[in-house]
Amino acid sequence: MMQEARRRVAIGFLTAPAYLWLTVTVLLPLSAMLFFSFLTVAPIGGREAQLTTEQYLTFIDKDFYRTLTWRSLRLGFDVTLLCVLIGYPAALGLAKHVRGRWREAIFLLIVLPFWSNALVRTFSWTMVLREGGFLDRIIHWFSPDAPPFSILFTYPAILLGLVHSFLPYVILTCYISLEAIDDSLLEAARSLGANALQMFARVMLPLSLPGLLAGVILTFIPVIGSFMEPRILGGRAGIMLGTVIEDQFTTVFNWPRGAALSFIMLGIVLLIFAASAPLLRGRLKGL
Amino acid sequence: MRGFGIWAIRLYLALLLLFLYLPIAVMVLLAFNQSPLYELPIVWDTVWFQSLAHNDRLIRAGLNSVGLALANTAIATALGTMTAIAFARYSFRGKALLELLLFPPITIPWLIIGTSMLIFFFWIGIGRGLHAMLLGHVALSLPYVIMVVGARLKGHGSALEEAAATLGASPWQAFWRVSLPVMAPGVVAASLFAFAVSFDQFVISYFLAPPGVSTLPVEIYAAIRKGFTPEINAISTIIILVSMGLMLLFARLYRFGGER
Amino acid sequence: MSTVDVIGAVKRYGRVAALDEVSIRFGEGEFFGLIGPSGSGKTTLLRAIAGFADLDAGEIRIDKQPVGDRPPHKRDIGMVFQNYALFPHLTVFENVAFGLSVRGRPKEAMRKDVGAMLDLVRLSGFEARKPRQLSGGQQQRVALARALVTRPRVLLLDEPLGALDKRLRQEMQIELRSIQREVGITTIFVTHDQEEALTLSDRIAIFNEGKVVQIGAPGEVYERPRSAFAAGFLGDANLFQGAVLDGGVEIGGLGTLRSADPLPAAGTHVSLAVRPEKIQVWVEGLATPGADLNRFKGRVQRAVYAGTNLTYKIEVGTHLLTVFEQNRAAHPLPTGTAVNVGWLPVHSVLVAA
Repeated sequence: MMQEARRRVAIGFLTAPAYLWLTVTVLLPLSAMLFFSFLTVAPIGGREAQLTTEQYLTFIDKDFYRTLTWRSLRLGFDVTLLCVLIGYPAALGLAKHVRGRWREAIFLLIVLPFWSNALVRTFSWTMVLREGGFLDRIIHWFSPDAPPFSILFTYPAILLGLVHSFLPYVILTCYISLEAIDDSLLEAARSLGANALQMFARVMLPLSLPGLLAGVILTFIPVIGSFMEPRILGGRAGIMLGTVIEDQFTTVFNWPRGAALSFIMLGIVLLIFAASAPLLRGRLKGL
Repeated sequence: MRGFGIWAIRLYLALLLLFLYLPIAVMVLLAFNQSPLYELPIVWDTVWFQSLAHNDRLIRAGLNSVGLALANTAIATALGTMTAIAFARYSFRGKALLELLLFPPITIPWLIIGTSMLIFFFWIGIGRGLHAMLLGHVALSLPYVIMVVGARLKGHGSALEEAAATLGASPWQAFWRVSLPVMAPGVVAASLFAFAVSFDQFVISYFLAPPGVSTLPVEIYAAIRKGFTPEINAISTIIILVSMGLMLLFARLYRFGGER
Repeated sequence: MSTVDVIGAVKRYGRVAALDEVSIRFGEGEFFGLIGPSGSGKTTLLRAIAGFADLDAGEIRIDKQPVGDRPPHKRDIGMVFQNYALFPHLTVFENVAFGLSVRGRPKEAMRKDVGAMLDLVRLSGFEARKPRQLSGGQQQRVALARALVTRPRVLLLDEPLGALDKRLRQEMQIELRSIQREVGITTIFVTHDQEEALTLSDRIAIFNEGKVVQIGAPGEVYERPRSAFAAGFLGDANLFQGAVLDGGVEIGGLGTLRSADPLPAAGTHVSLAVRPEKIQVWVEGLATPGADLNRFKGRVQRAVYAGTNLTYKIEVGTHLLTVFEQNRAAHPLPTGTAVNVGWLPVHSVLVAA
């Protein structure tokens, strides 16, 4: 009928621009990068390129790359673990034990830094961690004879910076999940004889799992791809898969290799998604 | 809950907030410190902000950032709002797939998105530059705009438009007089979000910045690699206050706009 | 004052028929109730008349003119939605005036019409308020005023009183009816509250699974349901099945029931429905009602005291009868009391299974 056709046109008109944009800026570039990862050199500036799997094979051959990937994964794991250990209790406390205006105010305060400039935040940590920085000064205030203290350019510094970056996000997703748990469920559990630990383990934890999982995944993935924080806070100790990929594009100019490494990282990301999809299906909401 | 427990929680949250704001506070403080070498005591001075005014590079980068963010806001808000309307108003086959396709831009590491754009744009001849960055920023902002506007639309359903129709309003009239005003808080909130996403964007801008053209975050990164100067503190302070201010505005709109 | 004709309406969602060959003629000025369980098609029909659902087959005519291809905003109808759908960004005045302003009426005329309408729904003085400042009942009245001010041909109400509490709902029912009578507009409303349908409507239609099960005046549909479903949906009913025998119906575990309805040939299996309020209960030895009753002996299994009335569950033979009695004696008969039950043959209604 006429209405049906008009409907289709309307839907098309409304959604086409956005999705066309996404196709050109995300889908096509990713495909291009996939193609590039199988070339010998970047076919730009008149250079001839041939198809090869050399880029991927290098990854398997050279230990260097595997160690690197492992380091990145470990970084992701460490950061995510810390964020969960620190963040989940905070979300729990905020969702269930703080009431009224305070709750919203504190929530806003916690989430605000996350939506500010990540680069600036990372930079601000250097002010604290460097020699002559805030931490150094505090230590010297207590024991003036101590040697200059700086944990800048170490792995813990990277951890600190990344945890600081993503903690608000984990708290956000956990909070949303926890807050949605109806108080009456908890009262019902208590009336059935559950003590605090059982109530947590059997009611709150399972019901807040989607939020927790969302936070974990959306923290882990950016972290393994990070290069800015490892470089600024880790220096030479901050060589990760992300920084090596960045190098391929900005200093080494081996784009095919960079593409291949990117796709390996993408593969890891997709694996994580595939593994967690059944748990998250239809439950991802909020930001 | 027992008294001790409540105070333990409050202490924990307070420490957490301290942790989150400590570095920012330190940075802001040092931006106002006269000493160029971070010497204590803190002598209040706005000298670094003043020297910013003479830093042509940073000013140009700042203008680029703002201009880019404004363009991004306009495009992303328009495109995203249209899509959100389609999602809210109609149900159709393939909608779930389309909604799923919104996830890649925000879940794939930006490193990968940035480098793939670099490759693709060079390959097809677009190259790097502000126009390329715009393409990237809008792609990243779209999912957020769609989510924010969508949330607002969901709160009101299609009953309002149907009511307008029964009262004799043509679809166009219904849109202008009912849908748009009701949507407005959501759209404004989404546009603030889009602005912030673009203004703060580093990774994509970094890869798509040709020599001589950059945005504030890219400039700051280059400056950090070269060495610390308090001017960086000053500009960073400005940036972070702008971003946080925007987000506060957004939170205001997002919550209070939702009241019926 | 307009007529609405629905002829052979069919609407399918996938394989499910939301409307299955529905035909109803709505008369001028009638207050017509559509009732039925959830998903029975009543709301689909209302939306089809409004123009929000396209029919797969059949026709809808307003004032004898087919409206099939006309979009909702050209059908000249007024509609009150379940959640009122008041425009949150407009004041009460602007909400009510909306229909007039999209038609380009001059300001003075609008002010007069809106004022008169707000008077009618007793909300004069509320012009400057916003919907969120109004109570549920007030919002409902604004929605009604808004729908009526443009003098549409038909008024459609989608569970208009569903969101109100009981007392308010009863008040609004009376008000709604009196407003409708005063304005004289043909009104079709959907409800799942049978009591509401009975008290308000000139005629009702019972829906089930996309089909109209029975149409008629409330009294007629209630007293003489034509199917077991109608009997059970509109009010309560005691249902009996048995075979026709000697001018009565032989019910297993009970006895012979007599009915005033013409019965089919002997041996045919039929169903009879008896409304609980038609059954009398009396204790042996006290004044016995007329001898013309269907009469059986039983035992009180349970009594529910509800203030104005009593509900008894009485075991009679192998059947459990539900009986309503007005609370005249103030004390329900205790459980286990041996009683007699009886009802007039005219109240044994022959229903399709």
